[in-house]
Parts: sequence; C-alpha cells; structure tokens
Amino acid sequence: MGEVIVVTSGKGGVGKTTTTANVGTGLAMLGKKVVLIDTDIGLRNLDVVMGLENRIVYNLVDVVENNCRIKQALIKDKRYPNLYLLPSAQTKDKTAVSPEQMKKLADELKGEFDYILMDCPAGIEQGFKNAIAGADRALVVTTPEVSAVRDADRIIGLLEANEIRQTHLVVNRLRTDMVKEGNMMSSDDVVEILAIDLIGVVPDDEQIVISTNNGEPLVGSDCGAGRAYMNICHRVLGEDVPYLDLEETKGFFKKFAAMFKK
Amino acid sequence: MKETVVIKGTKSGIILVLSKDADYETLKKDVAEKFKKSSDFLGEAQKAIRFQGRPLTDDQKLELVSVIQDNCRLSIVCIMEEDEKLERAFQDSIARSKSIANGSSGQFFKGNLRSGQVLDAETSIIIIGDVKAGAKVISKGNVIILGSLKGNVYAGADGNRNAFVVALDMDPMQIRIADTIARSPDKPKRNRTKETKVAFFEDGNIYIEPLDRDVISDIRL
Repeated sequence: MGEVIVVTSGKGGVGKTTTTANVGTGLAMLGKKVVLIDTDIGLRNLDVVMGLENRIVYNLVDVVENNCRIKQALIKDKRYPNLYLLPSAQTKDKTAVSPEQMKKLADELKGEFDYILMDCPAGIEQGFKNAIAGADRALVVTTPEVSAVRDADRIIGLLEANEIRQTHLVVNRLRTDMVKEGNMMSSDDVVEILAIDLIGVVPDDEQIVISTNNGEPLVGSDCGAGRAYMNICHRVLGEDVPYLDLEETKGFFKKFAAMFKK
Repeated sequence: MKETVVIKGTKSGIILVLSKDADYETLKKDVAEKFKKSSDFLGEAQKAIRFQGRPLTDDQKLELVSVIQDNCRLSIVCIMEEDEKLERAFQDSIARSKSIANGSSGQFFKGNLRSGQVLDAETSIIIIGDVKAGAKVISKGNVIILGSLKGNVYAGADGNRNAFVVALDMDPMQIRIADTIARSPDKPKRNRTKETKVAFFEDGNIYIEPLDRDVISDIRL
C-alpha cells in the first residue's frame, strides 16, 4: 500500500515544485515506484521542471472527468522507468476537481505506487484542499524569510485541522554566509518558530536554476542542493541521515580536502 | 401488382410506406392484413411510427395506429412527423460541415495565444500572432500561423490526414494531425534559426520541413 505525500507551503515561489520534482526523482532512484501529481490546475509547472511537457496528451482533469483511463494520462519519466507524472490541466481552473475526486484518485494510485507526491499550488483555497484531500503526510517547504515562515505556520495549522498526522519541514534556499552575518534566519530558528520536525535543509544553489531550465532534476548530483535532496529522500524512507555541513559545499579546496578524509 | 403497403424497419421505429393511388378504405384493410401476417416477425415491442408516401389527416393516422395495434403485438408509442424542410436543413448542414472539413474554408484570428488559451475552430484557421508554449489551437482543417509556434496544434481534428500546419517560426511543443501525435525533441537544438516550415502527415508519421516549392506542390487541400 502506497503513501501519499503532499508538498505544500502556502507562499508561492519557495520551491514546492522543485522539491516535488527532486524528492520524487530521488525516491525513484532509490528503487521506489513513484507518481508525481501536479494539482496546480491552470498554472502547471511540474511537467516543465521534469522536462516532460512535450509528452502531455491527457491530464488530471481528463482522468477525473473520465475522458481517459489513468494509465493513458500517466507520463513515464525520461530517465527512470519507475517514475511517472500525472500532469495538470492548463485550460481549466481549480474548481474542475473536487477534494473527494482527488481522494478517490489517490486511493486508486496507492495500490500501484509506493509513493504518490502531490505538488500543491500556492494559497489555501480549493487547490490546496484538493491537494491535501488524500494525503497521509506532508512536506512543508519554506524559505528562511518571515513572510514564507508565517505562511508555513498557517499551513501547518490547516494540515493539523485536516488530521494529517505526519508533517515535516524543508527549509529551502538557505545561505550560510548570510546566516553567519546574522542577516538570515538559520534552519534552527525556523524550526523553533514552526515547532515541527525538520526533514531537510537545502542550500541556495544556482545549479537549481540550470536544472529547472533543462528539465532535469538535480537530486543525487554532486552539488549542495543535489546532496540535500537525496538526504531528504533517505529520511522520507525513514533512514537516519546526518545533516550536511553546508559550509563544506563552498570552495574547491575544502571539497578536495573532504575527498581525502573519506 | 404493386403493393399498396410496405413496412420498413429502423432501429427504433417502423416506417410505413403507403401507396398514393389506393383509396383510404382499401389501405386500411391492407394495413390490417399486412401487420397480421407479420405479427410473429415483428414480435412484441414498443415502436415509433412514421407514415410515408401519401398525406394523411391526424384522425386517419390515429385510426391506422389502432388498426396496427389490433392486428399485432406491437405497441406504437409515438407518431413521427415527416418534415421535408427539416430534412433538407439537415442535409444542407451535413454538406456544409463536409466542405469545412476538407479545408476549403477558413477564418482569421488576430492576437497572441498565451499559455492556457485554446482556440477551437470548425474551419481552417489563420492566426496573425504567436502561439506560445502552453497554448493550443484545434482546427478541423489547416492551421497557418503568421508568427511563432511554441505551443500545441491539433489540425484535422475530425480525422482529416491531409491537414497541415504552417508557421513562420516552427518550434512546437506538440503537433497532432488527425490521430497522430508528434512531440518536440527533448534536447532543444542550440542556434535554432527562425524558418517558415510546414508540418504534414505521411505514412504514419508527421514531418516538419521548410516550406519550399516541392513541399507546396505536395499539399492537398
């Protein structure tokens, strides 16, 4: 029986879609059968980040409205055969799908997949309600900015109200240099405010921009964000992985030295 | 001797063709006889009926229906009217949609189609503007884009494989002609140049080629 994980944040632009793409791809790399569902109807992105936009024929709304079978709408990933994407519709809006329909869909997919990742839209309206309807657990993504943390707090409250028991925090786009200077909250500060368990800290990494533009998630690659996302995947599977020393990702010589330490 | 009464069956009803020449009383008798004879064949069912061949008054129609019901096990649930004008209107509209489908008529659209917008046309369509990524054009005929094509196009939407797509800058996400779908390559070409190209269907594949004289001569409208 599979597990449904919703990736949500409240605020837009903090990295929900990037996190969904990378954690989903990472879980597939670790041998799990994974399906990513883009629930952002009308503003779909996940297909672009995954580089699968050109393969879309049917979408989530077609499945819910029984215009096609689920199998027809699922797009197999370019690189990992056990990774699938159910894209969102671009020409409809959030009201095209109801929470009940999403729950039914999630329950159907649970039989076949180990992990079902829901990429939630920004906001707390219908799109959010759709995305969390079938969820067993949640990954709350935030950046270390007060606005994002405030929204994340609101979201955590709503998740608790909807009886999603397991919620974990992803702190995204952390800049250690700014934290050191005292100009940015550290991940510890964020955890203290939000009072939920941390599952990963992803450093601000320009490789993310490159990977998004190329449509290839960078999880597992040898860069700060790639390693951080892979660690999140291991922790999603329940493994105990020590947190990265984000300092280490800086500078060629330190990397070199680290290689010898191994 | 020509029969005065002919029964024709359709899926949901029967058409009763009556001779114009015979007088009404004879017809009534013939109808009774005909249905009595065919009773076993017709069986027990609910049917609609339509009278053809001669004008009947409403009373005569009702009388004939009761004659039919008395002589067989059918129950006639309604009488359909024959309306020549309506018939002609139907045929005209069918003919019109056929002429649309073969791409002989078209319309213009001016403006850019942006992500999430869908332009659905019954005829061929000429777009003066761009079709951006995430936008979609659906046409039963051909699609001509006087601008760049980065989105999706579905030409020949009612199954016309001769449909084609032309764009001044051809860089589509997906092109579908009739029931065949082609998608863009995963690795976009660097240094892609803007060039007028045509997409067409041939031997089960969709081809995209520069719009030169050879290709134009192959286009069938």
